[in-house]
Amino acid sequence: MSQVFHEIEKKIITSLKNNPKQTPENLEKSTNLSPDQIRRGIEWLKLKELAIVNESQTINISLGKNGLESFHKGLPERRLLDLLKNESKKLQDLQTELGSVFGPAMGLARKNNWVDTSEDKIFLKNYPSELPGEKTLKQIGENKISKNEIDIDDLPSILKRPDFIVEDIIKTKEVSLTENAKSIEITSSSSAIDVESKVPVVFVARTHPLKDTIDEIREIFVTLGFTEIIGSMAQPSFWNFDALFTPQDHPARELQDTFYLDGLSAKKIGTSEQIRKISESHKKNWRYYWDINEARKMVLRTHTTCVTIKHLAENKPDEARVFSLGRVFRNEKVSYKHLVEFNQIEGVVIGKNATLRDLMGIQREFYRRIGITKIKFWPTFFPYTEPSLQTMVYNDRLEKWVELFGMGIFRPEVTKPLGITKPVLAWGGGIERIAMLKYGLDDVREFYNNNLSWLRSATKCQ
Amino acid sequence: MPVVELSYSRLQKLLGKVSKKQISDSLPFLGLDIESEDKDLVRVEYSPNRPDYSTDLGIALGLQGLFGIKTGAIKLNIKKSNDYVIHVEQSVSKIRSFVTGIIAKNGRIDDTMIKQLMAMQEDLHFGIGRKRKKSSIGIHDLDKVSFPLRYTTTKRDHRFVPLNSDKELTISEILDNTDVGQDYGAILGNSPLVPLILDSKKQTISFPPIINAAITTVTTKTRNLFVEVTGINKDDAEDMLSVVATILQTAGFTLVSTKISGSKNTSPKLEPKKILINSVLINQMLGLNLTNSQIISSLKKSRLDATLKGKNIVCSIPSYRFDIFGPMDLVEEVTLGYGIQNLEPILSPSQTLGQTNPISIKLKSLSLIMIGLGYTEALNSSLTSKRVLYEMTNREPINMISVLDSKSQEHTILRDSILPGLLENLSRNIHTSYPQKLFETGTIFSQGNPINEITSFAGISAHQDSTFTEIKSILQSALKTGFDLDIETKTFSHPIFEEGRTASISVHGKTIGIIGEINSKTIENYKIRVPVVGFEISLSGLILD
Repeated sequence: MSQVFHEIEKKIITSLKNNPKQTPENLEKSTNLSPDQIRRGIEWLKLKELAIVNESQTINISLGKNGLESFHKGLPERRLLDLLKNESKKLQDLQTELGSVFGPAMGLARKNNWVDTSEDKIFLKNYPSELPGEKTLKQIGENKISKNEIDIDDLPSILKRPDFIVEDIIKTKEVSLTENAKSIEITSSSSAIDVESKVPVVFVARTHPLKDTIDEIREIFVTLGFTEIIGSMAQPSFWNFDALFTPQDHPARELQDTFYLDGLSAKKIGTSEQIRKISESHKKNWRYYWDINEARKMVLRTHTTCVTIKHLAENKPDEARVFSLGRVFRNEKVSYKHLVEFNQIEGVVIGKNATLRDLMGIQREFYRRIGITKIKFWPTFFPYTEPSLQTMVYNDRLEKWVELFGMGIFRPEVTKPLGITKPVLAWGGGIERIAMLKYGLDDVREFYNNNLSWLRSATKCQ
Repeated sequence: MPVVELSYSRLQKLLGKVSKKQISDSLPFLGLDIESEDKDLVRVEYSPNRPDYSTDLGIALGLQGLFGIKTGAIKLNIKKSNDYVIHVEQSVSKIRSFVTGIIAKNGRIDDTMIKQLMAMQEDLHFGIGRKRKKSSIGIHDLDKVSFPLRYTTTKRDHRFVPLNSDKELTISEILDNTDVGQDYGAILGNSPLVPLILDSKKQTISFPPIINAAITTVTTKTRNLFVEVTGINKDDAEDMLSVVATILQTAGFTLVSTKISGSKNTSPKLEPKKILINSVLINQMLGLNLTNSQIISSLKKSRLDATLKGKNIVCSIPSYRFDIFGPMDLVEEVTLGYGIQNLEPILSPSQTLGQTNPISIKLKSLSLIMIGLGYTEALNSSLTSKRVLYEMTNREPINMISVLDSKSQEHTILRDSILPGLLENLSRNIHTSYPQKLFETGTIFSQGNPINEITSFAGISAHQDSTFTEIKSILQSALKTGFDLDIETKTFSHPIFEEGRTASISVHGKTIGIIGEINSKTIENYKIRVPVVGFEISLSGLILD
């Protein structure tokens, strides 16, 4: 099957077939293409492995001022020897004849035992037919020549002399065809197109990766028999805290951890029976003055548990599995591991036969379905559950155990005042953490940066 | 969560033949999260409901139980004595009604012990003391104190040398000029009288809940201690005292009782409380079939006492375990004693059928339609800033909903619209290739009764040739394909959009949102170099209930 080429490629290939090694400048001349067209054409051919570009560096050398003088008059030491060829001469006379080069010439001649001195005269001992460097001088002459062409043994003797040799570094690119390309037949016209060439990148529109994780988690719990409930993000403290046995003077309720909505209080927070029983439970167990105005203060929910507990209090089911999924808020400094607003899933199982082992079983099954099999359970503390556990999952990338969902059985101090009589298993945790494991992110803020380069490149199925 | 630093070698001394690895493997099973480890030192986080874990002595008691080295409850042996009397005067009843205390004799205190006692005191103050408001603690060198003591009140010009000072200060000076005074002075309010403990030589011993006197400072030379706790509730004060008493006894001190009387105060008993449980509840909750003796041995491993009485188990809980309210707390104690690692998770078949919320289903459909139309989903915080919501888009803030004391300036106001966030997203992507088409569905907030939460839907398109027609086509198709709704647009004006290129959107005659070309000023504010068109509609009341 013949390959299809762009006009530029065709011209370059044809030219290289005639003249196998060319610089880009040569190609411009031989193809009549612009420097930019040549550059692009060479890049395309390189990608297709049809052309090779050898970048080489050559050093051109020419003679400097002293070199040229020696080329014309002979090397200083040659001139010295020539002067002595017929007769010995006085040092002063030689100095006058040779001028400034006498010193170095004399030094060399002595060192090599070409001359000697007797009384005040210098006489010739030896007359070498060719001195080191003479060959090179002759070869270079008045031209510029590549260093490669020079006798490498003869060059050093004059390379070190001042202003004898000038070196010029020249970088050259040389384009040639690969073996594959040499057999290519260029046809002048065809309707075929280059089906093998690279094409432009287009971006798919897509759902947000975090939404994908949320959907996946939602799907898992629905298939485990849970029904999704949705509740408000702004809640009276009553449902976020009081109903969950968190005393009004508990540090978690302070401004520095919870977002209170400026100047907003709820008029209606629950039935009078709910309010009475919860306040009694607080007074009895926590021994303080329970203030209904404190319970009215509106907060941004710190967990979705307020949604499930309210649902249970309103419906009082004997047997149910429900979950709530949504944004929760904490007054934290934003960092690579903390957001002020993140997603949480929180679910409950209510039933006369619900046990802690069932709760652990649901967790294990959930993790299995999202691909996490190395898990263990540790005890922990939550104000509204007893016993309370947390799941630790092993993160292969970080090579350590990380904490995921918390869980427990709702305390009777939570359920009784709300008229819930059957045991309630509850669990929940942040979704971003799971999504971070999934997408291999180390910075949780990435999910909310809406950086299009990331949104367009994150692999959909992880 | 509070953190305590432990030394493995010290724990090994307290525990006997137990390896470092056994200890580090077991700490999590006491509910202690290892935060960091460095050779012999390990820092663990403990729950604020277990202040006894604020010292290595307390943690050693827990580990002894888990390892089976020593099990059962820690009994406080308090020697009866009439030597240590505290009289409470009526005047304290309106300020800080209760005082309680205990004597601890013949102990040794090294630097580590002082450090741990200080840390425990701070954690008790912060946690169950509710930043000293509910109860606060003072630990004194007993030999510097002359009994009987008086718990009384004084005026703010009363002078004494407070802890860590070398000169006399008045109460007012302490409250105004010292760190503790500034931090906790508010507890005393504006009352002209403040609480004070004086000894029989009229020396000031303590100015609760602010500071002790320098004279009773505890050093490594101290052998005998006087611990006092004051508070607004007697039970809370005694709870706090019992933690300290337990730790001091564990540290080798002999406890001696105090005698307290006056103004509804009585001497502390620090006696265990009894809770009845039965195996049915425990097995029902855990999904196990434990025998009574297994339950009793598990409770003992959790350092509680338990005996069988008929069908019930009588559990005796030492007074420092005031985190135990009732039988469900004992279920947890059994779980910990039995070992969570010994509980095998089970997956019982669900008795209920699961269902996705209809709102989620509709929002999912809408997002799939938008993706079909080439729009990428964005996600922004609903708690955002005045800058994004109003300043950059030239909108006037009305009835903003702000949060109090946010630690982040970028998150102070609940959004009342999604579009400003999407525009901000464009500004962060000006070096990425166009066209850029984004949509978002999410909650927006407005003041109501007290707050209305509405699900809103917005989309934007940014590229060289974006037009009003394009964005109207998109919205029209999305609502028609998704929900068989037809939209109408009517000339309108709105600060986000360009005058003359803005319309309100209505469905069945009801206005649901707004659409148009984004105002050039906003585009300039965000340094976006291409025209942008967009819309935002409310889904609540349209496709969502």
